[in-house]
Amino acid sequence: MSSDRERAPDADTEYQHPEDDGPEPEKHCGHGRGGMGEEVNRKEDKRFITGRGDYVDDIKKPGMLHCEIVRSPHAHARVEEIDGSRAEAMDEVVAVLTAEDLLAHDLATMPTLMDDTQDVLVNEKVKFQSQEVAAVIAEDRYAAKDGAQKVEVEYDVLDPVVDAEEALEDDAPLVRDELDDQEDNHIFDWETGDKEETDRVFEEADVTVEEDMLYQRLHPAPIETCGAVADWDPGKDKMTVHMTSQAPHAHRTLFSQVSGIPEHKVRIVSPDVGGGFGNKVPIYPGYVVAAAASYVLEEPVKWVEERSENIQTTGFARDYDMTGELAATEDGEIKGVKVDVLANHGAYNAAAQPSKFPAGFFNIFTGSYDIEAAHGSLTAAFTNTAPGGVAYRCSFRVTEAVYLIERMVKVLADELDVDPAEIRRKNFIPSEAFPYESATGWNYDSGDYEKALDKALEMADYEHYREEQQRRLEEDADKLIGIGISSFTEVVGAGPGKQCDIAGIEMFDSADLRVNPTGNAVLRVGVQTQGQGHETTFAQIVAEELGMDVDDITVEHGDTDTEPYGLGTYGSRSTPVAGAAAAVAARKVRDKAKSIAANELEAAEEDIEWDRESGEFHVAGAPDRSITITEIAAGAYMNHPGGEEPGLEATNYYDPPEMTYPFGSYIVVVEIDRETGEVDFEKFVAVDDCGNRINPMIIEGQIHGGLAQGIGTAMMEHVTYDDNGNVTGGDFMNYLLPTANEIPNFETGHTVTPSPHHPIGAKGVGESPTVGSPPAIVNAVVDAMSEAGVSHVEMPMTPDVVWEKLDEVGLSHQPARNVEFSVEDGEHADD
Amino acid sequence: MKSAPFEHYEPTTTNEATSLLESLDDPTILAGGQSLVPMLRFRLANPDVVVDINGIDSLDYLREEDGYLKLGALARHADVEDSDLIDERYGSFADTAPLVADPQIRNRGTVAGSVAQADPKGDWGSVLLAHEGEIVAEGPDGERVIPADEFFLLPYDTTLGEDELITEVRIPTPEPREGSAYHKLKRKTGDYAMAGVGARLVLDDDGRIETAGIGMTAVDITNAQATDAEQHLEGERPSADLFETAGELAAEASNPESDEHGGADYKERMVDVLAQRALGDAAERAGAVRRKVTQ
Ligand SMILES: Cc1cc2nc3c(=O)[nH]c(=O)nc-3n(C[C@H](O)[C@H](O)[C@H](O)COP(=O)(O)OP(=O)(O)OC[C@H]3O[C@@H](n4cnc5c(N)ncnc54)[C@H](O)[C@@H]3O)c2cc1C
Repeated sequence: MSSDRERAPDADTEYQHPEDDGPEPEKHCGHGRGGMGEEVNRKEDKRFITGRGDYVDDIKKPGMLHCEIVRSPHAHARVEEIDGSRAEAMDEVVAVLTAEDLLAHDLATMPTLMDDTQDVLVNEKVKFQSQEVAAVIAEDRYAAKDGAQKVEVEYDVLDPVVDAEEALEDDAPLVRDELDDQEDNHIFDWETGDKEETDRVFEEADVTVEEDMLYQRLHPAPIETCGAVADWDPGKDKMTVHMTSQAPHAHRTLFSQVSGIPEHKVRIVSPDVGGGFGNKVPIYPGYVVAAAASYVLEEPVKWVEERSENIQTTGFARDYDMTGELAATEDGEIKGVKVDVLANHGAYNAAAQPSKFPAGFFNIFTGSYDIEAAHGSLTAAFTNTAPGGVAYRCSFRVTEAVYLIERMVKVLADELDVDPAEIRRKNFIPSEAFPYESATGWNYDSGDYEKALDKALEMADYEHYREEQQRRLEEDADKLIGIGISSFTEVVGAGPGKQCDIAGIEMFDSADLRVNPTGNAVLRVGVQTQGQGHETTFAQIVAEELGMDVDDITVEHGDTDTEPYGLGTYGSRSTPVAGAAAAVAARKVRDKAKSIAANELEAAEEDIEWDRESGEFHVAGAPDRSITITEIAAGAYMNHPGGEEPGLEATNYYDPPEMTYPFGSYIVVVEIDRETGEVDFEKFVAVDDCGNRINPMIIEGQIHGGLAQGIGTAMMEHVTYDDNGNVTGGDFMNYLLPTANEIPNFETGHTVTPSPHHPIGAKGVGESPTVGSPPAIVNAVVDAMSEAGVSHVEMPMTPDVVWEKLDEVGLSHQPARNVEFSVEDGEHADD
Repeated sequence: MKSAPFEHYEPTTTNEATSLLESLDDPTILAGGQSLVPMLRFRLANPDVVVDINGIDSLDYLREEDGYLKLGALARHADVEDSDLIDERYGSFADTAPLVADPQIRNRGTVAGSVAQADPKGDWGSVLLAHEGEIVAEGPDGERVIPADEFFLLPYDTTLGEDELITEVRIPTPEPREGSAYHKLKRKTGDYAMAGVGARLVLDDDGRIETAGIGMTAVDITNAQATDAEQHLEGERPSADLFETAGELAAEASNPESDEHGGADYKERMVDVLAQRALGDAAERAGAVRRKVTQ
């Protein structure tokens, strides 16, 4: 087995487990087989880089038909009549489907992940622009689109309500009049923490600060839009759906429930997925329509969204209008935090968040700080906008919580005129306080926040930039400097099953490891990669646990017929949950291997020892009498000990005891043009701690990607609507994504504080940068203007938004102030 | 791209193209496709007939000739960006090309197509206005030269006839003491302008401004000329005060609307800022010396 893989052990990473009574302390090191801590090149990259990825839209089946969805141009309208006859008259059009057709098969509605009921095709009333009204099935996708253009729909247009606050006013148009018990647009109220105690703390506090901030509506905008190829096999009575799914097993269960097809007759396959970021967790009408059409027409049906359909109709993220308050002592000790949120959920309650809290993990808003009293309240409203509230590269509203607390700490620092790094240091949960229970009841597993902050401050050359900032102010320079910090704590890795479920299914995850007679292995997992590198990192976990070469392990995922049941990939849960399952399954295999080793080495099982360093079993006291898993595998199939089952495999379903709490400190230095409001990144430092690190290169890649998304969030992304409910930010001309040009050089660093309860001490990392960076960026821009009294700038901070703030506080500049021109006369000039 | 069906013609000579344009019913010209293809994709444009001019090799040029810088209809934004001639002699063109859209779009999109598209947020129209540029069109009645300031009518609407083909856009070659520049403010790479200003200055032997041209992007219903500002500049020596007033006059002449690219007030203000910056660069490139002064 030759390999040209590069293996660079991550020199400054030490794998460590805390001395306390966590799982068995084991030393991890880069031993050259591609185990923990090695920068193994991604196994999946060969096919992606050489254009051999296999995405939903690459699937072609004989007789396959194409589906195009007719969408409403109005945000709020009754459908009076749908006339598909002109489309049906086209040769290549096979069928035009409406809600009526779906009703006949009981498929007209589908449950959302929050147990609301969404029309698959509009039954009576359109509730948001671009909602699905009819579907055209045709022989090719051009004809399907031509047909869709020919479907005539008569609408009775109603007044829409777009804004959540207006939606809650008495005279607001009623979005959900089909619901018997719904008399207004109010969905739910939710509260957390101790109100009385928090009020008391606020009354007694020396200082209180308050700030309003909108976490604007975003879209995860994966490069691959959503799509499906549904294939009903009337011979086997089986429905196979290839779809863009982050959670194929959960989707199988939901599909079975919606369609009435028994679950063992439903197969969901999620092939290569071109990014998900939470957008591919929900079920969308297009999937159901494709499946219904395939069932009715008995041919495979493909549906693939266009870009603007993806942005305009599938799960958006955020849209939290928040008011934060902090109470503190004069010297900056934070005593209490309050938050009040108005959440715009769109036309259906379809937030993808599986926790028992209606607002997900938002109540982690005490952040990295030891705060004695906290209270949060939240109201959610229906509006005539697309449904959503998905966890866009975050754990179910943790992004909004982190933004709130990290912004508020800056507001407080400015109010007290203390350094924002100092105030953080003063209020951090001390490292010796872990495991720590927060005022809102969360059990933080481990952390060392000050260490991460100190490292970031040093990498950022913090003092230098503080001086530079002062100098620029004193000189009234044309460019201001701002320095922003975010010392975030994340919560990832849902379950535990007792706290989190999807449609009742507890959020465990699974791994099934089979070692072949020739000594290589297949690991099947219940999670679904969309770019996270699972095919590499999970193989590394097994390589580490079994002493195998990482190239000898194949990781499979995404096919519900062959993989063990799992809840999918989102909320940075794959490593915390399925990664743990992989480690435990590998350890089970190792346990069984031990008895075979004893047999092969002709020693008693008690005398067999596992040597992690060499990746072998050997006889105690006789290190040269050793055997590898590869050698044992042959024995397991060809010479298994009597009394043992043949074979070498194990399965683990892992229900985590707790979530994991990765953290980090990000420091952003910006330069602001006082003439135009343009913001440039001078320095961008990200120090992350995700516990023990499996593949530092993949972590680095995850951090880079997430920081880019954080920059998009802070600087340009926004799904906007006009007053008529038209999506004005619904394509890439108007929903701006950053390009490489907008992304500065990132300086990354790390600390390692292992999770005490995770089998390999790892925490999730994928979402830390998206969650942690927006407040650092906003804090930096605010910081540049805070001496002039600016306490907040709303995202996205496009040049106009920043310039208006500059101008408001008298910091804007005119260009002509300090130049002089001189011209020599022509003859001289020509010399 | 799921456009409605259309017939696709690929002429290889200008004559062939113009006779197709004359004989076919309601034809649409396809150049780089960077505006047309998105419209086909959204089915905002549903032409029955498309005349694709990409095979007309004789329209693929960028050269100086007869006192003009001439860009054939197939000169792409990237051709301008990559040209040494442009780098050496045409400051505003060198400034503009890399600011248009993104590299992929610049590889296909043409300057002439951009002018034909007449998007008020397009950049080239402003540059042509600043330079007293011209549009050369071929139609059933032969060649016609249209001055840039008589070309743009409304957003996406020009004085070009439906059966006319732009074969060339051109500007006069620079005078001995001429400089030009273009400044654009955008939210990200690939975004149209929040505002943009192109400026051209010609100095006379005394170092006074003999000719001034200012074109503005994204602040009116078409690319617009700041005539008052131009007149204010002419006959004066370059100075910060002069440019400041010119900037104000340009801003006054603009008519921006509030939209996703920013509020009207901001854009108006930015016209002022960008005009001053562009004038400063143009003056410097015309031979003036610009010095920072400390107050
Ligand atoms: C994402 C994006 C960002 C962009 N950003 C910018 C920007 O920042 N600044 C900017 O200026 N532009 C921008 N553009 C527009 C781009 O510059 C134009 O699309 C392009 O240059 C138009 O030229 P084309 O050759 O692609 O024309 P096409 O798309 O082929 O044609 C455009 C129109 O002009 C007509 N036409 C084309 N050539 C001729 C001709 N020779 N004679 C007569 N009619 C003709 C066509 O019939 C059509 O109506 C952007 C476009 C996109 C998609």
